[in-house]
Amino acid sequence: MTNERQTLTLPVGPLHVALEEPVYYKARIEGERVRSLSLVMGYVHRGMEALAGKRNLFQNVVLTERVCSLCSNSHPLAYCTAVENLADIAVPPRAQYLRCLAEEVKRIASHLFNVGIMAHVIGYKSLFMHVMQVRETMQDIKETVYGNRMDVAANCIGGVKCDLDGELATFIRAGLDKLKKELDEIIRIYRHDKMIRGRTVGVGQISPLDVVRLGLVGPVARGSGLPVDVRRDSPYAAYPELDFPVITEDGCDVHARAMVRLREARESIAMVERILDKLPAGATTAPLPPIPAGEAVARIEAPRGELFYYLRTDESDKPLRLKWRVPSYMNWEALPVMMKDCAVADISLIVNSIDPCVSCTER
Amino acid sequence: MHDLGSFLMQTLQGLFYLLIFPGGLFALSLGLLFKGVDRKLEARFQRRVGPPILQPFIDCVKLAGKEEMVPRGAPRAYFVYAPLLGLVGMAVCAALLPIPGVTHGMTDMGDLLVYFYLMPVPAFALMMAGSSSGSPFGALGFSREMTIMLAYEIPLLLVILAVALLVGAPASAEFSLNEIVEFQLANGSFGLNPVMMPALLAYLMFLPGTMGVPPFDIPEAETEILEGPLLEYSGAGLAFFSLTSAIKSIVVLGLGVVLFFPGTLPGGILVNIPWFVLKCFMLMLVALTFVKVASARIRIDQAFRFYIKYPTPLAALSLILVWVSR
Repeated sequence: MTNERQTLTLPVGPLHVALEEPVYYKARIEGERVRSLSLVMGYVHRGMEALAGKRNLFQNVVLTERVCSLCSNSHPLAYCTAVENLADIAVPPRAQYLRCLAEEVKRIASHLFNVGIMAHVIGYKSLFMHVMQVRETMQDIKETVYGNRMDVAANCIGGVKCDLDGELATFIRAGLDKLKKELDEIIRIYRHDKMIRGRTVGVGQISPLDVVRLGLVGPVARGSGLPVDVRRDSPYAAYPELDFPVITEDGCDVHARAMVRLREARESIAMVERILDKLPAGATTAPLPPIPAGEAVARIEAPRGELFYYLRTDESDKPLRLKWRVPSYMNWEALPVMMKDCAVADISLIVNSIDPCVSCTER
Repeated sequence: MHDLGSFLMQTLQGLFYLLIFPGGLFALSLGLLFKGVDRKLEARFQRRVGPPILQPFIDCVKLAGKEEMVPRGAPRAYFVYAPLLGLVGMAVCAALLPIPGVTHGMTDMGDLLVYFYLMPVPAFALMMAGSSSGSPFGALGFSREMTIMLAYEIPLLLVILAVALLVGAPASAEFSLNEIVEFQLANGSFGLNPVMMPALLAYLMFLPGTMGVPPFDIPEAETEILEGPLLEYSGAGLAFFSLTSAIKSIVVLGLGVVLFFPGTLPGGILVNIPWFVLKCFMLMLVALTFVKVASARIRIDQAFRFYIKYPTPLAALSLILVWVSR
């Protein structure tokens, strides 16, 4: 007998039931254990950064909205904020609040989607269906307020496109009241259900030290007890006035990350209500000055973590360079650590727990 | 000439049992129908519309007309005959099944021990399929199928022993299915006998494992190993697996009825066939459908531990109680 153990390459992806988007995970497995993991990516590269240089500054609002569907509000918001930083545009307070509204509505929908998919991955079909159905409330709100279920097109340079009247505010409140009760129940299920706990607690562990070392962001970092949140660390829009806690969990595992998402969704409901309470009157867009040459950055807390935009312009109406770094780009690095010696059964579960966004990463 | 005549008669009768009733056509269509109802019920529990009840029939017809692909490098004979093996094993099982008040099945073979040997045949077929398809998912499915089979066969064996000892009391053990039915018709159903209740519970826990439904759909876990052994199958081969699972559901549910609730109604065949179907259906509802909609898939190690921890001691308890009371 030699010391060489028998290993097998398990090709998870690029097409796989549990993956929403194509990535090829090459897992070296030994029996039911994963020994190492490497990623092959690039299946949905669309050359969007190059496209951005061919479009003018206004057209890019539309382009960035199409980077990915679940964070489709964070990208244009980050882009618009970068342009506003560059040209020193003061966004009116009402628009600031409405931007937060769109962000939080999208965040609730995105987080619920992720925990729903988690239930699907562990084969809990009834819970998956239930969560997706509860999430429909948010889709309805998006459709009623913005006229669209995914790409809400809320932002423009200098403000927002959609204003809110009393009737819409009442509709949102009614939807949230309904959602609140259902979400509380879902949180209780995820926290206490024995089957969910049996599959997720202790799975895909990543220590806070590794989180810092790899620069992980968003719910992945917060699930390991690190209070990293751009909304608080580097406030933008109306977040400084919204008074919200940064939610963390100490489990460092798949379960903790799901709980962070659920509790954040719950917190976002409270934030939306606060936004509706405090919504100041006034204009929703600022007058536009000419955009000068120069460079600027913007940071936004997308549902998956910190989203970073860099913009450089010359005198022309097209950006010289538009570059973005998405949260998933950082979080991919966590996978080999989380999957060290995990069971084959947990591969797709762990992948889902970082809520990867391939179309963001590859754009 | 008389011998030849009776031989022909017996052969025809055997073929009838095997191909028409209670095996073959009857078990097949009933199994597919159950599957359709089960899917519809699951959908309604999840507030979906669900497929038409006849969808499993439609799927099989559709699959039969599709091309069957054999992966490069797979041993062709193994790969092609694996699904047939499972189907034949289950068809024989179904032919042996006595339906209380209706038929004795193939009496000279209808024996619990034969059942114990034939029931794992579909699992063996899946293992053959998994190992011959040459895909790592198939290999994983193979090892998972083997693990879970070892886990659920233990309580099944204990349940069978408990039943056989109770029927054969005080001196011996009785493995004939018809004797078991007769005994219960005379002395009351085992399902209502406190001594056998733990064994009934163990059998109910055995059902989702052997049928591969959540939480024990581990060898074919779609979101983990992409249906495992079935991944490389297409066309008629895949249809055979689905037919096998349809007959298997009737076999294991029917065996549950025979072992625990064989009571008949007065009124002959026309009453007792629906009565048997109804009892099978109730068993499916309790042990498969309800369990399925209320659970997540567990890991293979958790499943193994579950079977060692709960059904095995329960079945053993019944066995001990039977042993002590005889």
